[in-house]
Amino acid sequence: MKPFELLEPRTLREAATLLHAAGDAARPVGGGVAIMLMLKMGVLQPETLVSLASVEDRYSTIALDDDGQLRIGALATLRAIERSGLVRDRIPVLAQALRRLSNVRVRNVATLGGHLAHADPHMDLPPVLIALGASVRVVGPAGERVMPLADLHAGYLETVLARGELIAEVTCPVQGSRRAAYLKCTTRAADDWPALGVAAVLEAEGEVVRSARLVVSAATDVPTRLSRAEALLRGVRIDDALLARVGEAAAAEVTPIGDEHGSAAYKRELLDVYVRRAVRAALAAR
Amino acid sequence: MTSTQGAVGQSIRRLEGRAKVTGRAQYVHTLRLPGMLHGKVFRSTVAHARLLGLDASAARALPGVHRVLVGQDILAVMPDPHYGPAFHDQPVLALDKVRYVGEPVALVLAEDPHVAEEAAALIVARYEPLPAVYDEVEAMDSTAVVHEVLKPAGTFPDLKHLQGKRDTNIALDYSLRRGDPDGAFASADHVFEHRFRTQQVLHVPLEPFVSAAVPGEGTLTLHTASQSPSFVRIEIARLLGWPENRVRVQVPYLGGGFGAKLYIKVEALAAAAALIVGRPVKIALTMEEQFFTLTKHAATLRIRSAVTREGRITARECEVWWNGGAYADIGPRITQKSGFTAPGPYDIEHVRIDSYALYTNLPPAGALRGFGIPQLVWAYESHTDMIARELGIDPVEMRRRNILREGRPQATGTVMRDAAIEQVLERTAERMRWSEAFDRGSGTRRRGRGIAIGFKASVSPTTSVAIVNIYADGSCALYCSTVDMGQGSDTAMAQIVSEVLGIDIDRITVVHPDTDVTPYDMATLGSRSTFHMGNAVRAAAEDARSKLIALAQDVGVSVETTPIGEIFRRKYGMQAGNVVGSGSFVPAYTPTDHHTGQSDNVTPFWMIGATGVEVEVDTETGQVTVNRLVNVGDAGRAINPAIVETQLSGAAIMQLGFTMTEQMRFRDGQCVNPSLADYRIPGILDIPAIIDNERVDATQSSGPFGAKGVGESGTFGVSPAIASAIEDAVGIRLTSLPITAESVLRALREQQGRPLQAD
Amino acid sequence: MGTTRTLRFTLNGEPVTTEAPSHWNVVELLQNRFNLYGARESCGQGLCGCCTVLVDGVAVSGCLSLAARVDGADVRTIEAPAATEDGLDDVQQAFIESGAFQCGYCTPGFVLMTRKLLDECPQPDDEDIRHYLSGNLCRCAAYPEIVAAVRLVAQRRATRG
Repeated sequence: MKPFELLEPRTLREAATLLHAAGDAARPVGGGVAIMLMLKMGVLQPETLVSLASVEDRYSTIALDDDGQLRIGALATLRAIERSGLVRDRIPVLAQALRRLSNVRVRNVATLGGHLAHADPHMDLPPVLIALGASVRVVGPAGERVMPLADLHAGYLETVLARGELIAEVTCPVQGSRRAAYLKCTTRAADDWPALGVAAVLEAEGEVVRSARLVVSAATDVPTRLSRAEALLRGVRIDDALLARVGEAAAAEVTPIGDEHGSAAYKRELLDVYVRRAVRAALAAR
Repeated sequence: MTSTQGAVGQSIRRLEGRAKVTGRAQYVHTLRLPGMLHGKVFRSTVAHARLLGLDASAARALPGVHRVLVGQDILAVMPDPHYGPAFHDQPVLALDKVRYVGEPVALVLAEDPHVAEEAAALIVARYEPLPAVYDEVEAMDSTAVVHEVLKPAGTFPDLKHLQGKRDTNIALDYSLRRGDPDGAFASADHVFEHRFRTQQVLHVPLEPFVSAAVPGEGTLTLHTASQSPSFVRIEIARLLGWPENRVRVQVPYLGGGFGAKLYIKVEALAAAAALIVGRPVKIALTMEEQFFTLTKHAATLRIRSAVTREGRITARECEVWWNGGAYADIGPRITQKSGFTAPGPYDIEHVRIDSYALYTNLPPAGALRGFGIPQLVWAYESHTDMIARELGIDPVEMRRRNILREGRPQATGTVMRDAAIEQVLERTAERMRWSEAFDRGSGTRRRGRGIAIGFKASVSPTTSVAIVNIYADGSCALYCSTVDMGQGSDTAMAQIVSEVLGIDIDRITVVHPDTDVTPYDMATLGSRSTFHMGNAVRAAAEDARSKLIALAQDVGVSVETTPIGEIFRRKYGMQAGNVVGSGSFVPAYTPTDHHTGQSDNVTPFWMIGATGVEVEVDTETGQVTVNRLVNVGDAGRAINPAIVETQLSGAAIMQLGFTMTEQMRFRDGQCVNPSLADYRIPGILDIPAIIDNERVDATQSSGPFGAKGVGESGTFGVSPAIASAIEDAVGIRLTSLPITAESVLRALREQQGRPLQAD
Repeated sequence: MGTTRTLRFTLNGEPVTTEAPSHWNVVELLQNRFNLYGARESCGQGLCGCCTVLVDGVAVSGCLSLAARVDGADVRTIEAPAATEDGLDDVQQAFIESGAFQCGYCTPGFVLMTRKLLDECPQPDDEDIRHYLSGNLCRCAAYPEIVAAVRLVAQRRATRG
């Protein structure tokens, strides 16, 4: 690793300004997990790191806002989110997904903002949060904007964030009466990166689904909504025959990317199976 | 001296427990030396090429870089800088050619390891690519030849006959002929033939390779994470043209070894660099660099059996191709020592074995916990089950009909003694409740079970020497060059001393290997220490005891009733003096006949291990869960039963990784997953819910207090037992490792007539 | 501010001040400045847990943490002696009794993680233990013995009340 300058601005806006000024020579660092891995590999060789550790405390908090949505600061650690009573109570699927995300030490330091901004399709929370309808507030040197989380990722390790822009917080509608599940499929060690992840969020009455959101991750470059599979679920009673069609539709509407976790053909099979299982798991959830 | 404490046979806690749980145990990793430089290796990026030139000017110009060394520089201190236990084929740094991706080509020295790393990335090499060969079977007649010239090492007596075949990639072809296989095949009721493959995997000790060399006045001290300090001293002295006594090798605890840290790894490079620059040099490889240093042998195995209607195997033919990578390391011994057990622990009259050690343009392969045996067991136990299934015979019954019993000759002609093969098989079946009904699951979750047994000969002939030093207060030290890399040898050896001398274990120190102090030992490998060093330690302790008895007689007291300190005080008038006992052990051995592979005494003892597993297969995804793992071994009479059981369990879990998740993947000879993120070793979530370990009640009559080695036995049966359990569950047979979820699903779909696409 | 900075923090109960280059990680800081080697880099990716240290009571991978992270923090390493007569706490004692290690390289990380696990969840079941320790690797595979050691501590603490 090469030496670099470490800056510690006191406000998020100041951090954005510093990053905007330095451009590619600088990188933001939150929990620092992904950044350290890339620095060590020599993939990144920045002149400056802009630490977000000292910015305003409010960017680390988790709170319920006035319209009943959960606001999670971008610098909240994954472990804080996992252990938050509010999160467990209002969005239990998020706490469940976090339990199998990397390991305790990584969750202790990794931040939600970094987790999302890294744009690695193997991350576990984007599919869950997208399926729940979350949005992100982004702060830049000139101001801020809000966008659906579904629009954040532009490609493998790529976001739509402009130079100097930083994720400030995530706003996520609470689960409420919606039933949700996230299934992570690993094909090597149990705590491996996922070969694919499937998030299912359903509004259902008994076994009849009123609406469904299904999002797949890891098998594709960016988390992807499975709209055709979702459409099949709308307004119908769930049974094995229907689920078979849902699984098939899901496998047909995306083109999985083969990698060390499995070939594209295998991942298509997994997608079929895991979409069916995720819907079942969501229905079984509260 | 009181009567013996009964230390042997007790599950005494490890001597070094406190040091390890407080983080204070010493490893080479923790060593810092005044004036020390850190070395960073610049490695080849091509698999096979002539090295035309190196441009290290940018690296040399980087502030903080002390020196950049290339292959030619090494010649100043090592006139012929090639090393290896079988062939002197591996250069300290590449000279005219590179033979695999990752081969060390240059070394940057700097006080700051970050600077060394940055500088190494600035070096540019120019290559003229040569045709490369990666597959072990293709290597047999490939026109791409990895080595033009081969120089046999001649270091070890069992490898004296090595020659290599000029203009081929064959480092060793080993053959065994017994009886009349052709005749037996011609008249057989059934003939079965199958082909198997195992993949390249890695040892992954959590402490990567590390050596530090300190130059002295005409001397050199090496602190190294090595399983073979005596070999390192002899080999470094040979490379330098020095007498042994000028090279000192010291080894503290090892953060795991598993066969990786044998012979020369980074020792020669650290030694040469330290002597060239006249300063201490430490080379500590990263986890990633371990993937470019030493692997386990991938192998292709063909096995063919003649079988009677009743399931008796009358003849077996085995052909094994070992992928040795670019340098032979100890591959030729694996080819031969493991080669002769290729037919398995079965009583087969007619045998033909051909086993080939092959060079390829992959990282060198060497010893890894089992020394080739797990590859062979994978083939012969899978084959045995496939035959049993074909003939409709229960797998355990099939083995009973063929098992190699006590007193019967093995394929080499050596008669089996103190080999509890039958007992290990029967106990495994009992622990598995084999004869009882079994829940086979339903729907998309199907269950099955499998069993497999393997055996291994110990390396021979080898030498171990030990010294026991009784101090004047009755405490004592044991000097031996066995390396405690986690297997608990310090504790076991101290128990032997305690047993012989009646000295409490708390008053015994085990002096770690230091070749200026501790005597010669061949190496800590192949589960040999308990037996070989244990015998030497016992002899040394007995020698010390006789001398102590003589001393007691001299001063007119009885050793039985007088405290040791009192004996010394009477002799020397104060707390002074030593009683030093020494012992050595070299087992008898008959070399195998070069043409027939026959020998009446091919090994001092046999290791036996069997595994039973219960698995659950998800028929929609191919995911396999091992729910139960039963490991049974013959360790003779255990010196420390608790440690023996952790060895069985640890070995089996390691082999579970080699069976299910671990695989080095290569593209154009380059390992593309050299990290623990991409090469998954078993974690705590991956181990079976139930693990049972058992030592059978057996005795190795030639072993110290009836004991023998057990470090590898747990690996033997794991892979084939899992493959058989999967077949038992869902009716598909996999013949290639690793068994991934995808490979299982593909086979299932094939069987159902709806195969998955190739991509 | 340059590429080196002054760090003031509490290390195993003692206030310390030192200088460190900004690109050092916490393992390098502990080894190079304080001769503490219990946290050691192995996988270098936060997966094996050999580099575990506690920063403000939170377990982190020292190899993935910039040295600056400890500025102003309370840092505890495996070397911090326990407040017992023999300097070992009940977790360390249980690891020794259960034979929960072989080569010992990963042991400091497992001990520290076990302490945190039992702080957060005093009576863990096997599932809790496995989940909490899943980010620590033991190549010698002393996993069954490690689980047994954790259970032993929990059981003893429960009996003691």
